Amino acid sequence: MKTVVPAQVELHIPRSCEFVRVARKTAGALAHQLQFTIHDVADIELAVSEACTNAVEHVSDDECSEVVVRFSADEEKLVMEVVDRGPGFDPSCVSSAETADGGVGGLGLLVIRSLMDELDITCDQKTGTCVRMTKYRKQP
Amino acid sequence: MATPLRIGTQLKGEGLAVLSLSGEVDVSNTPQVRDAALGLLSGGATKLVVDLSETTYMDSAGLGTLVGLLKRLKEAKGAMAIAGAAPRVQRLFEITNLNRIFSLYPDVAAAAKEVGS
Repeated sequence: MKTVVPAQVELHIPRSCEFVRVARKTAGALAHQLQFTIHDVADIELAVSEACTNAVEHVSDDECSEVVVRFSADEEKLVMEVVDRGPGFDPSCVSSAETADGGVGGLGLLVIRSLMDELDITCDQKTGTCVRMTKYRKQP
Repeated sequence: MATPLRIGTQLKGEGLAVLSLSGEVDVSNTPQVRDAALGLLSGGATKLVVDLSETTYMDSAGLGTLVGLLKRLKEAKGAMAIAGAAPRVQRLFEITNLNRIFSLYPDVAAAAKEVGS
C-alpha cells in the first residue's frame, strides 16, 4: 500500500496519565503507516510518550485540561509536536531533579534527545510549552 | 484506566523477593509498581529482583520508580537487580546510563544469585 505524504494528524487528549498511552499508540501506528523501520517506530513511540508524560506531570490541573499532539509527515521526516498550556520549564533545570517517589526526573528529555534527530522546546506564557521532535526517515 | 500491567510479587525467603512486571510500564501505572514493591520491602524483603522478561514497554517514569526503589534498598543495606529485560527495554537503561547503576541479568536465577539469595 502506497503511503500518502504529506500527512497531518492532530490529536487532542485529556491532560491525564491514562491518555499518554493513547498518544503513544497513535504515534506508533502512524510511524508504522509511514514505513519507518521497526526500530524507529519504537523510538517514536517512546519519544512521544516521554513528551506527553512531561506535559501531564508538569502542569497543574487549573492551568490546562488538554494536551495537543500534532504529527506532520513528508517524504523525508516525521515532525511531532506536543503542546500544552502550562507555564513551561527550563530544560536545563530538570536534568537531575528528584521526583516525589525518590526517582529521577528529567530522564524524559534525555531519552527524547537520544532518540530524535532534532528537538526544540519553546515556552511562552500565552501559548504554553511546545516540544517539537523530528525523526528523519532512514535512506535505503 | 491505567495502561494494562500485570504485577506479580513473590517472597522467596531469606529476604529475597521477585517483582514481575508483565505488559507496559508508563506514568499511568508506576504508582502501582511502587506500591507493590514497597509491600515486598515492608514484608521483610531486602534483596529485590525485578523481572522484566514480560515487560513489553517501559519509559522514564518506570525507570524513575526503579531508581527510587534502588535508593530505598541501598539505604537499608539491601540489593536490587534487573532480570530478563528485552532489548527495547535494555536500550532505555543504556540511553540514560542507568545500566551503570543497575545490574542487568538475563534471567531471575542469575539476578537472584547476584543479589545473594
